[in-house]
Amino acid sequence: MISAIEQIGRVTLRTSSSVGDTLSFAARVFLRMFERRSYNSASRMVLINQIYFTSVQILPLFLFVAVIFGAIVNGMVFQLIKKIGQTDYLGRLLMGFVVTEISPFVTVLLIALRSSSAINAEIAVMKVNREISTLEIFNIDLIDYLFVPRVLNGILSMVFLSSLFSLVFLSIGLFVSIVIFGTGADAYIDTLLRSASLLDMIIVWFKCAAFGFFITLIPIILGMNASQELTSIPVAVLNGMVKVFSAIIIIEVLSSIVRFI
Amino acid sequence: MRFFESEEELQEKLRDFITAHKSRLGLVSLEAPLISNLPVWSNIALIRQYHQNMSWHEAKITIDRLLHRMGMDSIAEKRNPSLTKEERFYAMLLRAAMVQDAVLVLDKPFGILTNLRDGHFLMHILEKVDDLIAEAHIFDYSWAKERYGVTADAED
Repeated sequence: MISAIEQIGRVTLRTSSSVGDTLSFAARVFLRMFERRSYNSASRMVLINQIYFTSVQILPLFLFVAVIFGAIVNGMVFQLIKKIGQTDYLGRLLMGFVVTEISPFVTVLLIALRSSSAINAEIAVMKVNREISTLEIFNIDLIDYLFVPRVLNGILSMVFLSSLFSLVFLSIGLFVSIVIFGTGADAYIDTLLRSASLLDMIIVWFKCAAFGFFITLIPIILGMNASQELTSIPVAVLNGMVKVFSAIIIIEVLSSIVRFI
Repeated sequence: MRFFESEEELQEKLRDFITAHKSRLGLVSLEAPLISNLPVWSNIALIRQYHQNMSWHEAKITIDRLLHRMGMDSIAEKRNPSLTKEERFYAMLLRAAMVQDAVLVLDKPFGILTNLRDGHFLMHILEKVDDLIAEAHIFDYSWAKERYGVTADAED
């Protein structure tokens, strides 16, 4: 019994210490994002490359998923609304559910699967190859050169891609609306605008920014935890991805609490 | 040139030297490999882009000129794994020379250029970057003295 309690205590201490370390590192990186010296020529080049890898290279897959998802969900929503005769709720359903919940969630999953895992492996490989110590030898600050561009790219890409997802989704909604309800574009847009809430939009942008921040920061931290052995790379990536998905769930729950309470 | 009897002694003295010259250190060593996800020119340009905020365009022109001077134009877009030992050494040397008023340190250069017979090649390429660096130091084992053509005891 005592050993079980000791075990619980140990796990609690370890978890709270790990969360504390992550948050304190997050605060350091966050503050550095507002310093001018973080945006030297080398860091800007990394930022541009990261945006290209995360937001541009993914576009064909991303648009394909958005179109397929939009067609299926819009079709289901419009059929259901028509069947139960609650057309007044269409705008609220699309703006309150699709734009604020579905778009950020699908976007964060796609970015996490593609970019978070890549960042995690990249940093771990750099650690194993002693490339991290090369940067330190040449007095290149790791936060300025490696971390800030990646985290900033995460935030920008999340906000941009989530907005794009919503736009594609709602455009398909317009098409379905014309086909199923026979309504015009003006009526559809008017329904959406009447259902849009500024507070919801602000919460969505904050949520996207938080998603982007943590799904890039956590892989960096876990990548840096790799040792000098090659076998530590898959372990670092595995741990990183588990923590990324935990962070996604926590942010999703917190944003829902803020929105509904 | 500084020669040492044992690995421990060499590492200790090198560590002290690195600490003393941290801000101007241009290290050429297997302990400071090239960044593998950057092409050679970016590895070299990184130092000036970061420390002097040199623009991408200016850095590219500067590095292309330097690589041309060394007769290494063809390696600009190559990455670390596809370089020969000699090409890798040139890239590491130029990167180190990009540090302002560089105190260049060659750490066991025969460990990087394993196919090298003697130090003539090293002296020849150090002459080529003479205008870019303030000082040059070589750290190696005493038994490698002959390869540098040195007969006296450890000396600077």
